[in-house]
Amino acid sequence: MENDSKTILIPNELCRRAGIAASWRPINEISIFPYEKRSYKQKDGPSNFASDQPSSIFHVRHEVILFHPILRKLVNESNANFLALQEFVAEKPPDSKTEILKMSRQYRSIIRACLLNLQDDIAKTNITPKEKQELKDYITIFYSIECIWHLCEILFIDVIPGNIVLPPLLDWVRFHFPKPERNAATLLSGDTDNLDLEENYWPTVFGNFLQGRMNVVRALLQQHSAAQTAVFQLALNVLKNMPILNIVPVSEFSLRWRHWTAEIQIKLDAKQFMSNRNLDLIMRLIVGEESAWAEMHPHCETWYDFLAGWLFYTEPTVKTFELGRFADQSIDRMRVKHHLKHLDRVLLAFMKFDLFEVIKEIQEITDNGWLVSHLTDILFHSGRLAMLENEVQNFSSEDLRESFILDYGTTLMGHKSLWQVGLSYLDHCHKDGLPAIKLLLPRVAFDSEAKATNIISEAKNRGLNKVAQSISKILAMRSLSQGRLGNALTWASKSQDRLFISRIADKFLQEYVDTGEWRCIDMLDDFGSSMLASERLIFLGKFIELHKLYQAKEYKECGELYMSLLNSKLVPQYFWSVLFDEALTLAENEQLVFSSDQTEQIIYRLEEKQNIPELVSSKVYLLRLALARNLKRALMYEAQLY
Amino acid sequence: MFSDHGSTVESTTSFHNLNGIFVSQKVNKIRWKPETFGEPHFFLTGSWDDESNKIVLWDIVENAEEEDFYPFSVAEYPYCGDVTEMKFLNTEYFACSSSSGSANVMRVSLSEIGEPLIQNYTTWENLHYFKNGDPSPCTALAVHDNDMATVGEDGRINILRAQSKDIVRRIDNADSCSINCVIYLNHNEILTSNLRGQMKSWDLRSDTKQPKSSFMLSGDLVTPTQLTYHPSQRYIIIAGDELGALTSWDLRQNTYPVNVLNAHEGAISEIQFHPDHLDHLFSCSRGGEIWHWSTKTKNKYGLEHENINAWLAPDDIKAKLEVLNLMPTLKKPINTLDLSNNRVICGGDNEAIYLINGITF
Repeated sequence: MENDSKTILIPNELCRRAGIAASWRPINEISIFPYEKRSYKQKDGPSNFASDQPSSIFHVRHEVILFHPILRKLVNESNANFLALQEFVAEKPPDSKTEILKMSRQYRSIIRACLLNLQDDIAKTNITPKEKQELKDYITIFYSIECIWHLCEILFIDVIPGNIVLPPLLDWVRFHFPKPERNAATLLSGDTDNLDLEENYWPTVFGNFLQGRMNVVRALLQQHSAAQTAVFQLALNVLKNMPILNIVPVSEFSLRWRHWTAEIQIKLDAKQFMSNRNLDLIMRLIVGEESAWAEMHPHCETWYDFLAGWLFYTEPTVKTFELGRFADQSIDRMRVKHHLKHLDRVLLAFMKFDLFEVIKEIQEITDNGWLVSHLTDILFHSGRLAMLENEVQNFSSEDLRESFILDYGTTLMGHKSLWQVGLSYLDHCHKDGLPAIKLLLPRVAFDSEAKATNIISEAKNRGLNKVAQSISKILAMRSLSQGRLGNALTWASKSQDRLFISRIADKFLQEYVDTGEWRCIDMLDDFGSSMLASERLIFLGKFIELHKLYQAKEYKECGELYMSLLNSKLVPQYFWSVLFDEALTLAENEQLVFSSDQTEQIIYRLEEKQNIPELVSSKVYLLRLALARNLKRALMYEAQLY
Repeated sequence: MFSDHGSTVESTTSFHNLNGIFVSQKVNKIRWKPETFGEPHFFLTGSWDDESNKIVLWDIVENAEEEDFYPFSVAEYPYCGDVTEMKFLNTEYFACSSSSGSANVMRVSLSEIGEPLIQNYTTWENLHYFKNGDPSPCTALAVHDNDMATVGEDGRINILRAQSKDIVRRIDNADSCSINCVIYLNHNEILTSNLRGQMKSWDLRSDTKQPKSSFMLSGDLVTPTQLTYHPSQRYIIIAGDELGALTSWDLRQNTYPVNVLNAHEGAISEIQFHPDHLDHLFSCSRGGEIWHWSTKTKNKYGLEHENINAWLAPDDIKAKLEVLNLMPTLKKPINTLDLSNNRVICGGDNEAIYLINGITF
């Protein structure tokens, strides 16, 4: 493994002098700040670097190219396709090949759309050279990705009739090397006389010849100034008779092909094409003459476009499993063995059906794991990855797939906006997905209730009630620190954490003890069923109801509610004093509220609680007096009744 | 107490002519720009939950033959905070609100060389803030002619006038909870809803800081996510909530809901009556659904329904409404929708906007 560490300079004078320290910020950032290392031997005191000047904190993050606006389209669009694929395979359809192929094509069209967008943007005039370079780099990356995916689709996802790989391979080369066709189109659409005077006439002929576009080759030859000469007519005629692979059965095709090449060989032996060097070369290529193919190297950009042309004429019925061997030969012929680039290695590994090598190589593409996760996923679902399990002991294709999806999902979770997309990848990691979500979701930052609500509902959708609860609690604490008691209680109630709700309800009661007023009277009106979540809240609700009954002059009900509160065991210690104050008010009420029986109960409670520090002795004295008077009134009233 | 009385709606599916494009930002609000003559072709999107947010003006090129459309952005305005609401005041000016606690009136105009522009006309900074001085998100905004009302997590109500930078009226402790929605009931009255599901109507002429009336969505702390009124019968109020239900009230009678419909999977993000086809309602949800509701004109016996608004039918509301699913369900929330004639636009958290053509009434 090469050393791929990178040095980042922190442009700050204080950091330079004092030194730095760092700490993680969720999920993709490191926070760097000036820091002086102190040992226990040093005297405890302000650092020499301390000053009242503002100092800076730096956030460093791993660059993720997928967060570029254009690539975000790819991220979101491929996410939709990824989810459709997961949904499809979850139903365990009996025949999935056609559908998976369709989805593979969909991925390719997403990559294509992304490339077109990048090309549109690079053509814009208002971009800086740096942005332009960036876009160019992205184009290079995604061209490679497109090329890799396409070959993978041919070899691993598509079903090739009879394993005859050449037709799709040729399509692949034609798609990724469109230059010959484009040049031919330009030549043919122009002035048709004397095409051969054009500098790129013969290179275009050979280019199309190598891609097996025989119609184009013939069309070009027909426009040659010497087209009417015998040698051209002969060549055109020979080429016209080239057998076409997909019309007839393979065995018959092979027979026809042998006849065709044998005839050409005879004509070559008779030196019939000698008068035109290029036509002679074409014929020698068709019969597979080594020296002729050696001349083709300059016409090929890479070993694989060479390979396709070479196989087209020399091994047209090559089978899929033979491809690796020919690929090696082609690399030898082109003498590029020691100059293989990353893309070359990936393609070669594909042709050798060495999926381990493929996966190892595509991880190194700097696309933040887009390709490796999506490609591994589709290979897994098409059953190609499971084959490796027979080759290597203890290898689990599912684990391999999951590790990439998990990484990719986690990367996206680190983005302020794309976290939901990240989540939907983690959802499809059966082993570690949910634990990862459990860790990551609470770390998604929010600065509005709207976003927090979104995070809570994502947590609830996944049955992560603890996460939902903890976010509600954070919102409650935040509300408290902003001085919003009412909102804090609402979030606490939504969190359904009994103890926590009680804590906030305590704050309400405490505030009433301190000020004798209710701050959030609007919300205290209507607790509804949420009141049942905590005993303290029930007490708060009932106590407010007591006030309302008193204000409504419903004294009898008021007295009964008072008694039930008094005997409820719900009264917080600090609140007894206030509760007895209420007794005083009610006992002194013009209309009799408490019966003799009730008064005795209150007196009993008072005696029981008289040692509570909040109950000052003067108040106890007053209470006793009031209660005694009330007892007298009650007894007299009751005596009249019976 | 209403859950047993709520009925659940099932939708039928019919995908209209549908086109979508990816726009690289999560869309929180989408609005057609009204035109004096002819059909609107400009629309605005406002993003949210991004490192830097934007308001973007789009124009639509239509290919009549292929019934295809392609919106392309013609102007952009970087916006501080999430765009929490956008409302056009007229064909040129629109109001918008931000999670940073401010609101703006902006203008869509043409430059000297005829290029569309978004310009800021007025900014109200720090409209919403907490007691400790932190900015509070402005969560919603309502407009009535040139009047505007903003509400926020700070429980504050501001009344503004588009032409003036001054705050016309401020109710500081209107609510001890976050206010999430606001609508105008008439020129002098607004209705707000808070985090607990409390709805309060406010008389703007009165000097008291107390609401005129107050009632609950339900007893279970369900938060309303969107309020709307019937375009011709303003006393009919419908609230969409975080559990996906639609609750309707007749404000003339009392403050108990007339009915509760369990509609969407996931929170309702926006509901809108069609401005021209009054018995048609459109709704979208965090569950990725977008629905078209219409009133059945005949009952199962083929008889015309009595002349009563279906939303006020106390029983069997389900039998009186038809629901069409306008789009395959997205795997991400749809946050917003807007209507113009037979076209619906919508956008959401999958960073895409969709145009649905050929809605039938």
